[in-house]
Formats: sequence, structure tokens, C-alpha cells
Amino acid sequence: MIEIDTRTREMIEEVRELGRVHMRPIGLEADRTAEPPPVDHPFYLICTQKGGLVSRMVGEGEGPGPTALDWKPVRNFLLGEEAAYWDRGVALSLPGPGLGGPGLRSTGTPEQNERWLATFTDHSKARWGAMAMTEPEAGSDVARIQTRARKEGDEWVLNGRKMFCSNSARADWIIVWATVDPALGRDGHRAFMLERDTPGFEILKIEHKMGSRGYETASFAMDDVRLPADHLLGGEEFYQSRRGFKASMATFNLTRPLHTAHGVGMGRAAHDFALDFIRSDYPAQGRRRQRALERLAKIRRGLHTARLMYLNAVWLAKNGKSNALEASYAKLYSPPVVLEAVVAALDILGEAGVRNDKMLEKLYRDVKILDIGEGTQQVQRVVVARQLFDFPRDA
Amino acid sequence: MRDFALSAELEELRAAAERLATAELAPNVRENEQAGRWPDSVVSVLDGFPLGDLDLPDRLGGVGAGVLAKVVILETLAMGDAGGLAAVDRPGSTVGAVLACPDHDLVAEVLTTGRDGSAQSGFTVIDPDSGSTGLDWAPGGPDLRWVWVSEENTLRLHEVTGTPTPLQVLAFQASGGVTVPFDATTVRGTWELSADTSLMVRSRARLWGAAISVGIAQAALEDTIEYTTERVVFGKPVAHHQGNAFDIAATAARIHGARLVVRDAAAAFDREEPHAAFWATQAWLETVDATFAATNLGIQLLGGHGFIVDHLAEKRFREARMLAMAAGARDAAEFDAAAHVMDVPDPLVGTEVAS
Repeated sequence: MIEIDTRTREMIEEVRELGRVHMRPIGLEADRTAEPPPVDHPFYLICTQKGGLVSRMVGEGEGPGPTALDWKPVRNFLLGEEAAYWDRGVALSLPGPGLGGPGLRSTGTPEQNERWLATFTDHSKARWGAMAMTEPEAGSDVARIQTRARKEGDEWVLNGRKMFCSNSARADWIIVWATVDPALGRDGHRAFMLERDTPGFEILKIEHKMGSRGYETASFAMDDVRLPADHLLGGEEFYQSRRGFKASMATFNLTRPLHTAHGVGMGRAAHDFALDFIRSDYPAQGRRRQRALERLAKIRRGLHTARLMYLNAVWLAKNGKSNALEASYAKLYSPPVVLEAVVAALDILGEAGVRNDKMLEKLYRDVKILDIGEGTQQVQRVVVARQLFDFPRDA
Repeated sequence: MRDFALSAELEELRAAAERLATAELAPNVRENEQAGRWPDSVVSVLDGFPLGDLDLPDRLGGVGAGVLAKVVILETLAMGDAGGLAAVDRPGSTVGAVLACPDHDLVAEVLTTGRDGSAQSGFTVIDPDSGSTGLDWAPGGPDLRWVWVSEENTLRLHEVTGTPTPLQVLAFQASGGVTVPFDATTVRGTWELSADTSLMVRSRARLWGAAISVGIAQAALEDTIEYTTERVVFGKPVAHHQGNAFDIAATAARIHGARLVVRDAAAAFDREEPHAAFWATQAWLETVDATFAATNLGIQLLGGHGFIVDHLAEKRFREARMLAMAAGARDAAEFDAAAHVMDVPDPLVGTEVAS
């Protein structure tokens, strides 16, 4: 069932070259300094000038919406996997709509998609998009978001705080999820387009993290942020017919497989470090080598399964089929497998693996976030249980 | 680009297998287990598929539907009942040996006697360090005549000359069961194969078992959900307790992954990819773990009901273990995967990336 076309293969090679020359070294530097690359880093301009390739690497397509003929999510996710192989943190920091892309796709009208994705057609400057869901009091349980959206005349007024928002401190726009009435629960959710220079928007903090330091993770506040009515993504009718919460969940049906793709890339990196080490440092025969090879095979097995799971989920999305269950399957299965791959690679390297001049100890710190972002493994189990049977919300 | 859809023809075949599994196999599981065979009415339908010839190429008299078609049908039938599959699917798990054997006249004789229902085939993998004095188990009906042996890179075909001993084993009672020592056989041929071809011989047997294993796991999951959403404990259905729900969800994800890797490996064989056998062995390893998890949970969440024969949970638990013994069991598969892992490039991104 595995077949990829020549163009995809060529694009993977392009990403590989970018990764080898730029992303891996930049990621190591960001890890060492605990600072993501600055917005004027020359690499970002190179990426911007490469346009479509880079937007594909971060899970986006070249077209304005999921119906666009050139929306090739399978290809894009494979490129995302390859980018994460070199450095997932740097991959997430790359210019483009980022995680805001899937959010815009799943909620915005064609006109809104065209309008805000046009931001990225100017290749003279690196630009970013972002998406904000998590709040201080609403992490896994996104239904509890408290950021309020109030309609005043032709404007929406937003008040609240968001946290753990990737690239938001450098983004030209952020898709912000808010509620028109907390009492409505999930039905009160709305997605808004918040542009950078809007008065009342303030970056509060850029987090210091254990790993994945190649991209910034920020908190921000919205104090009486006023947005024109047309910044409500999808328009009012969208929420009456589709319901806001389902729209936000639809976003996850693309970002969860993307997370899995990133995990597979990182797991492959761990595998290759271990493979190199076996070749260079292990005896040619004997029980130690045999044991290492068995562990290597197990890494391959898990990563191959995880890859098929994310490809299956995005293939369903591409074909207009429901993929909520398969997206969560992938997100549930893959993070432990990827962590296990890194741990196995560390075991194979032994003491050499934890030296901080080796990539593996960084990978060990980097991968843990995969089991947290876009819904923890526990959240995925809840989602799957609700899909498979009538698992109650108050269980 | 990657395509997970089944062709219209295969979907039609799968639907027919599903009807058979639902209408004929599932309702009669225990009766067939007691009888030690599937009824002739079922066998005649399967001959019409034709089950044994689905994945055999034209040159061997098969229909050339492909390995993917075969694993999909095996999985579907096994959801109804896996018990008789080992006996009715000929050459079944020995298909890799049949394909690898360079003596075409001998292969034709084996296939002909399998198709006319006069002879059964068995398959075993021997560890050269341990050796073996015989075949521990083969399906019992029709009479066992052929025993394929894979020992490292050597393939042998034994013809049974003595009388096999009937044998009760852990599962697959509807396939009957016999054992035979090698000194009650005559070696009809011995061939040295390449390492890759030898792996293919073992891997096709593993893939056969993996496909059945996925069907068993899926059936176990569905029965588990049905029971646990009805049975009430501590004031709510068993499945509504979060600990149980989480286990069901994780198991379902593993089964989904197992199905994907089995079908992927099958499709790799159909495309004659050079490392299809490696991925088939990997698929088997992934699947036997997933199926053990699913069938173990199937008993666990049914509690005492899972342990009694009124439910099928205990049968699937036994079958899962039986399939985990196939083709040299776990050690042989781990050895094979380890022996090839450094030589197999990534199937999608091509050559290995220097880190």
C-alpha cells in the first residue's frame, strides 16, 4: 500500500537537504541557548523564498482550502515527518501559517482562507500564523475555555488569556478560540482571527521548556481586543449549522496526525543514531549486537505502524471521509512508541547517549511533548472511547 | 500516492466473506469446534472463492488475486470463526514454501493433492542450534501428507509415509490436529535458498497468521464492547468506568495499527517490493502482540464470564496464543527481523539518512 510519487520523493530530498544543512544545526544551537531562532534569522528568509515547500513541511498546502485540487496532505505530512527528523522544534518555528493553517481550513470561508493565507505570498519577509486554544484553566478539557467573545455593534470584543501557544509572539495572525457564553459549553465556541497589531493584544511570557526549544511557546492576554465582524471565522451561520466545538475538533483531526508524523520523524532520527553507533562501535558479532539489532527492529516496527496510522488518517481527510477516530488512534499510539524508540536508542548508545554533545539526549527531552500537545494520550483514549461506544462525558 | 481503499472487486469479495462469516461461521463456532471441522457447505463456498488459490499466481494454477486480497479475506472470515481456517486453506501458511520451491513438478503434485482434498500440508521452522525431531502440529483434515521445513536458508519437503498421531492442541480444534515425527517421513527434496527467499518462506506463513490474528482481535474487541456496555457494575456499565474505557481504546488503536501493517506488507508482496518479507515478519510481531492484548482484555473485562465457554472470549484468547507459535514463534521472527534490519531502507523515504 505504500507508494509515493516522484515529485514527493524529490521534495523529501529538498527538505532533507534543508534539514541537514540548516535545521539540525539551528536546532542544536537553540537547544544550547534555550532561545528559538530570532525572526530575522537568515534561514527563515531562505524558507520563505522556497514558499510552497516550507508551507508543506509544516502541514499546509498551497491551496486556499481543503477542496483545492493541490491540497496534498499525505505529501505534506511526509514532508513534515522529514522536517521533524532534523529538528521538530525548528520545523514548528518555520514561517507560514503553522498550526493556524488547519484551524483556518476547518473554520474559515473560502474568502477568509484566501485573505489570510495571502499573508504568506509575500516571499520577501518571513511571516507566521498561529492558533490559540489552551488557557490557564483549560488544557486537555478545551470545552472549559473562558476567553470571552462579546458582540458590540459590528465588532467582536475579546477578553481572556491564552497559553502554550506556538509562535504567537512572532505571528502576524492568531486564530483564537473563545466562547460567546460559557453556559453554552461547547456550543458557545467561536474562532476569531486576531491580527498582530490589534490594540489590547499583549504577549505576557515566552516559556522556558525542557526540550523542543527551536520554537517559541508563548502566553498572551487580550484586554478588550476589538475585531471587525468579518474576523469571526466561518461567519455566524457556520456555528449555527456546524457548532463551534465540532469545528475546533475538526482542526484536531488534522493536527493530531501531523503530531504523529513529527513523532515518526523524531523516532527515525533516534533509530539512525542507534544504527550508526552499532555500525561504528559495536562488535561485529555476539549477544550484545544481537540484542541491539532486535531493539532496532522493534523501533522500526513501531514507527512503521505509527506512520501508516497517520497516513491513513490524512488519506481519509483528503478523501472527505470522517477521520476523527483514526486521527486519535494515531495520536494515542505513536507518542509512547516514539519515546520507546528514543529510550531504546539511548540504551544502545549507553553512557555515550546522554552526553549533551549527542543529539539523542536532546531527542529524549524533545519527544515528551508529543504525548501532551494536541490532546494527551489520556484525552485520545476518551475520544476513542466516545467514538467506539457511548462513553459518557461525566465518566 | 498512498491509497488505503480496497478495489471494487476486493470489496465485493470481502462482503461475500463477511456474509459467510456472519451467517454460517459465527453461529456455529462451538458445534464446528466439537466436530473438529467446518461443514461441507462452508468448505464448498470457500472453494468457490477460491480461498487457497487467491494468492497463488497463474503459473501455479492460482487466480492471482494477490496477497492483499488474501489477507483481507482471511481477516474477514476469522471475525466469524478462525477455527477451521488452518485446514480449509490449502496451501495456506505453506504458500511461501510453494512459491520458493524450485522443483515445479513436486510443487504441482503438492498443490493438486491440496486442491482435490486428498492431502494436507504442514509447515515448521527449525532452529539450527536446537534441531527438531518432527512436526509438532498440523491441521488434521484431510490427511497430512506434506511437511515443509524451513531451517535457516534450507527448505525441505517431507512426504509423510507413516501415520500421523491425532493431537489435541490449544486452539483451532475445527481444523483437527496431528503430529508426526520426521522418521515417519521421506524427504522429497532439499533446496538451498537465498537468505531473502528463506525469509519470504517464513514471512508468508507469518502474514497468513497475522491476517487471521487481526480478525480474531477485531471480533474480540467488538464482543468486549458489546458486553461491557451492557453489563453494569458499581452502578454503571463496565465500559463506562474510565480505567476500562481507556484499555478498550488503547486496544482498539493497536488493532487498527495491526490491520494497517498486515495489509501494507501484503500489498508490498503484490508489488514485489524487495523487502516485503521483512515487513511481513514485522507485521506479524506487531499483530501477535495486539491480538494478545485484545483477547486478554476480552476475558478480563468479562470477568468470570470470560473464562467459561458460554462466551467466545476464551476461544479467541487460545487462538491468539496458537497463532503466536507460528513459523518458529517469536524468537524466530525476532531473529529474522534483527538479521535484516540493517539492510532494509525506509520504505517511504528511501535510502537511510546519515545522522
